[in-house]
Amino acid sequence: MSSPRRFTPQNDGDLLAQFEPIEVDLLRLATTQLLEMLDSGTADPQLAASDGIFGRLLPDAYRDDDEAAAEFRRFTATGLLERKAQNAQTVLGSLDVSAIEADAATPDTADRQPVTISLNPDAVQAWLRSLTDLRLTLADRLQISPDGVVHMNGDDMPFLRDLYEWLGMLQEELVYTIDI
Amino acid sequence: MTKTAERTELREEVSLDRPWVTLVWDDPVNLMSYVAYVFRRYFDVTPKQAERLMLQVHNNGRAIVATGNRESMERHVEAMHGYGLWATLAKAEE
Repeated sequence: MSSPRRFTPQNDGDLLAQFEPIEVDLLRLATTQLLEMLDSGTADPQLAASDGIFGRLLPDAYRDDDEAAAEFRRFTATGLLERKAQNAQTVLGSLDVSAIEADAATPDTADRQPVTISLNPDAVQAWLRSLTDLRLTLADRLQISPDGVVHMNGDDMPFLRDLYEWLGMLQEELVYTIDI
Repeated sequence: MTKTAERTELREEVSLDRPWVTLVWDDPVNLMSYVAYVFRRYFDVTPKQAERLMLQVHNNGRAIVATGNRESMERHVEAMHGYGLWATLAKAEE
């Protein structure tokens, strides 16, 4: 794709981000699912502690001390999940604004045009973390082993793998834009 | 009784001398650029130091990114989990 730069820094410290409408849809869908999962974890920390993906979002803080790891989880899990949920909300919020602007700019039957989103530094931080949480969640579903190989089978696999790789590209572009 | 108490005190002193460390572990998901960025931003190290730590994680499977008392290491680990990095804390090896 010979698209213009995805992220463009502004003089006031904000970033402008450009997305195709289909990309906005994908991000919104994935982030909504992430948010639902995080909320289910906040609602039931016991379940969260026993479920695979939460084990990676909230890994044991102590490798050789189960008791200390459980204690750490008791004190930090809810706050971490809430902050992760807030980050996902921030991402959804930025995407919502863009949807409204896109609708206003493209009347009726016109093809959907690329949308531009403005991200302030706080939103950028939320995006960086949420993209990570999305990729961690997808990696769990794709059953990616420590050597990076995908072990998931089934019809959903190619789509999820493409989404995983696209989110990685997006995050890399974002990091390079702000990490000069 | 007195003796036992003294010995406990002594042991606590010894353990105080041995600091705790925050470790970040390699994982197949996080991007090298992101990990280096997190080290720079959170630990306020130079780009060169961040790059070196990130490569240590990548090549050796883990790196010690901070040393100090247990409380502050727990704070660092929680922050790393917030960034989605796989971090643990442990007593420093003798």
